[in-house]
Amino acid sequence: MTSPSLAIDARNLTLTLGEADSAVDVLRGIDLAVPQGQTLALLGPSGSGKSSLMAVLTGLERATSGSLTVAGAHFSALDEDALATARRGRIGVVLQAFHLLPTMTALENVMTPLELAGQPDARAHAAAELSAVGLGHRLNHYPAQLSGGEQQRVAIARALAARPALVFADEPTGNLDGATGHTIIDLLFARRAEAGATLVIITHDPELAERCERVVTLADGLIASDSTAG
Amino acid sequence: MIGWGTAWTIARRDLSARFRGLRLLLVCLFLGVGALAAIGTLTGAIGNELSSRGRTILGGDVEVAVWQRAATPFELTAFAKEGKVSGGYRMQAMARAGELAAPIELKAIDQTWPLVGRLTLSDGRAVGAPREGEVWIGQGAADRLGIGPGDPVTIGTLSLNVAGIIATEPDRLGEGFALGPVVIARDDVPAKAGLTAPGAMYRAKYRIALPASRNPDAVVAQLKTAFPSAGFEARTRDRAAPGAERFVTRMGDFLILVGLAALVIAGIGIGGGVSSYLEARRGSVATLKVLGATSADIARVYLLQIAVAALVGSVAGLAAGVLVTPLLARALGDLLPVAAGLTIDAWALIRAALFGLLVALVFAAPPLLAARRFPAMALLRARVSPLTSRWRDAVLPVGLGVAGIVALSLIGSRQPLMVLGFLGGALALLLMLGGLGWAIRSAAMRLPRPQRPLLRIALANLHRPGAQTGALVTALGFGLSAFVLLAAIQTSLDANIQARVPQRAPDYFVLDVPRDRAGEFAQTVSEQAPGATVRTVPTLRGAILAYGPADRMIRVSTLKQIPEEAWPLRGERGLTYSEGVPEGNVITAGKWWPKGYAGEPLVSIDERLAEALDLELGDQLTIGLLGIERTARIASLRRIDWDSMGFNYVLVFSPNAIADAPHNLAAMVDLPKAQASTASAKGPLLRTLVRQFPSSSVIEVGAVLTQARDMLRQVSLAVLSAASVAVLAGIAVLLGAIAAARTARIYDNVILRVLGASRGQLLGLQLAEYALLAMVLAGVALALGMGTAWLVVVKLFEFDWLPDWPTVLATLGLGLALVILFALGASLPLLRAKPAQALREL
Repeated sequence: MTSPSLAIDARNLTLTLGEADSAVDVLRGIDLAVPQGQTLALLGPSGSGKSSLMAVLTGLERATSGSLTVAGAHFSALDEDALATARRGRIGVVLQAFHLLPTMTALENVMTPLELAGQPDARAHAAAELSAVGLGHRLNHYPAQLSGGEQQRVAIARALAARPALVFADEPTGNLDGATGHTIIDLLFARRAEAGATLVIITHDPELAERCERVVTLADGLIASDSTAG
Repeated sequence: MIGWGTAWTIARRDLSARFRGLRLLLVCLFLGVGALAAIGTLTGAIGNELSSRGRTILGGDVEVAVWQRAATPFELTAFAKEGKVSGGYRMQAMARAGELAAPIELKAIDQTWPLVGRLTLSDGRAVGAPREGEVWIGQGAADRLGIGPGDPVTIGTLSLNVAGIIATEPDRLGEGFALGPVVIARDDVPAKAGLTAPGAMYRAKYRIALPASRNPDAVVAQLKTAFPSAGFEARTRDRAAPGAERFVTRMGDFLILVGLAALVIAGIGIGGGVSSYLEARRGSVATLKVLGATSADIARVYLLQIAVAALVGSVAGLAAGVLVTPLLARALGDLLPVAAGLTIDAWALIRAALFGLLVALVFAAPPLLAARRFPAMALLRARVSPLTSRWRDAVLPVGLGVAGIVALSLIGSRQPLMVLGFLGGALALLLMLGGLGWAIRSAAMRLPRPQRPLLRIALANLHRPGAQTGALVTALGFGLSAFVLLAAIQTSLDANIQARVPQRAPDYFVLDVPRDRAGEFAQTVSEQAPGATVRTVPTLRGAILAYGPADRMIRVSTLKQIPEEAWPLRGERGLTYSEGVPEGNVITAGKWWPKGYAGEPLVSIDERLAEALDLELGDQLTIGLLGIERTARIASLRRIDWDSMGFNYVLVFSPNAIADAPHNLAAMVDLPKAQASTASAKGPLLRTLVRQFPSSSVIEVGAVLTQARDMLRQVSLAVLSAASVAVLAGIAVLLGAIAAARTARIYDNVILRVLGASRGQLLGLQLAEYALLAMVLAGVALALGMGTAWLVVVKLFEFDWLPDWPTVLATLGLGLALVILFALGASLPLLRAKPAQALREL
């Protein structure tokens, strides 16, 4: 039974990559329930399965087994295209390497998910979102013309533009210097709070993890610890 | 799935205005479509010109020709019943002015000529038949004889006055090939000049202008039924110049195949271009998927981008094709029956564009569909591993594209088997090169790893993930084969033209030597040119009317279609008789008749004709000779050496079969080598022959050969220029394949530089890799190129296979050197990449 107030309800998720002799069990039975509006940090050493878990939770990868409901959609029953459709408007993703579309301006990058979701006024909405992250003066700049911090702001604006119920951030400050990283995290938390979205951050940074309401640590494809801030 | 509108918005936004990444696709389509557009426009324009001007070219709606006689009053009455008639004669003759003489084509016409169009003179006058005692002469005759308006000229035995120089002759094209410039005279001139004595070789032609409602084919059918043994050769306005049409169609078909070959090579470039474009867009594809784009959305977005680039490339190709047509026309020069300027042939352009887009579909669909298939996370994760094509996904679009190409190739082609053979060959070649690429990769993977690090890396580069080995093998295979092909064709044609033909050709052909003056002729030649050899044969003209076993002979007039190889059934042919086996002929079945044979009339026929008509020894053959049917039994079959420029006759009769019909002799004069090359030795002989045998025509073979040589040179130029497009496409594909591997190469080079490799070592690495590939492919290219060249030279042009091996091998070596040079040239920028900067960007 899935609780209607859960943003993520994962039960016994497994993920095996590769085949036969070269198969690797990346996730080995993950049970995770994340209430709506919670901020959660996923910690763990390299190779523990953090990014893979995020890929499964965002529908970028299909779990090998187990059941998964995200923002009310039964991900475990959907194929890749249906997962893509399910992401629209529900899930925003911020990646460590920004992954902006290099051929599009900042404004166009933010407009694209809105257009894919069939949202009207994509341009105005995207411009407002970029202004909200302090890039109102950089709307028509291409990614190559922006600093790393600015690119990550665009990525945050893009992830939050459609007002998703869930935002995932994979090492959002990994490619940034300390000061810029702090600014970006402040911005991410602020924008999330305004939107009331659930936030899942993958990080190595204990300081960043401490800002989250809940910290889940992975080790060897399993949840090693799960603690909620007092 | 998003709508096409949204897909277009995203596609347009993502598409670089300068088509970065899609330039290879653009260039390949530009070259392929451009070549096809130019070829199609040219042949289309000529074809349209021929058909729209059919009535003018023919000089009426129907033309009826008959050899060695004028039409009978009965026949003339039948012609006149159908419409207005213009009659006259055509023959070879000699024109003399003072000491100069020249072979001419005498066109004798009546007062009603021309029924259609106007004859214009160089002074601007539009005229009809000349007045009594006057002639209009062609510019060529005026030049050779050094005469102009007002000067006297002698034709045969008749002295006439030049009244004007011909500027345009409305029915010139319909008259066909001429061995000399035209001279137009009144229809009573040949008889007065002694050129139509019994046995003389001439043709009477009657053109009929029909009422608009009358169907020309019906008239021809009616006339042939009414006069079954008259030996009529009839043509209608729809096929006014069948020889020219056939030439244009054949040449057009062949050039279109060359263009298609260029497009197939370009297709490889298109596939490679699209593949590397999508490879470079991997990040964008992944990001779009992360943002919620489905695989169908991805397909739409990138399909639109590729379609736009394909359209731009095709449209640019079409424009270039149209613009280059006049240049191509100029290169082909006199080969073309009509002038072709800047024209736009809508169907040719549509066809070229469709070919381009279909080829783009076939080659672009697999990588496009592969990009659609990859899960977003796999795209993000597998940064350096390539998108692999899965042909199963692409079977439908590729199948549809191939079917479209086949259908489009067959539409309007008169040689469907050749087209299908070519397409099948191209497909087999692609598969073979694909297989070879796979084999090289597999072999490189299995070979023991060399000790030397650079060699090890060079070998690894052939099979690593993302290696461009497949594309390089195909591009190099096609490119090097094209080099070999061009060299082999060029040297073979040159050898045929320059070495073989002149050695075998006599110096003069003399037509219409009176039979009773054969001895006098030989004596005249030996007096003027001691040591010259003279061969004479009786010549008659007649048509094959029926053939087959005596009890069930087939009438030619009842055949619905005459097969290509049974060409002697079409119209009248040269006939002869002989006591012995003609020189250069070999009896392959039966026996030759004994000297002085007086029994049942016999005939010896060409073995190829016997095979085409399923004729056997003992079967019979009926010919129409001067309006009378004569039947002979087939006594032997002969193999004829058609390459020798001697007297070659498909039908040779026993003397008692046809010798009683009025006829003349044809003579072949071979001068001793020392005299043959000097004008001073030839001049007196020509003048004496013309003076003493005024009704005979002397044809200088050298001049005819020069004309033929020029024509062949133009054909070979046309073939080479069309084929060079294929080479250009091959080079584009090669550069594309190098560019596609650019990211992986920069990465390798930077890492190797960081590890201490020098630029020289890196250059050596590239050299080793490309040299390895080029060496393997040299052998393949040699076999492929020579095989294809043999097909073109021997089967298509029916020439001897005489390639110059040193030139072919040198060309292949040059090709190899160019390939390595291009590859290294394209790699130099990669070597210049600064490691620190590259590491930041990677």
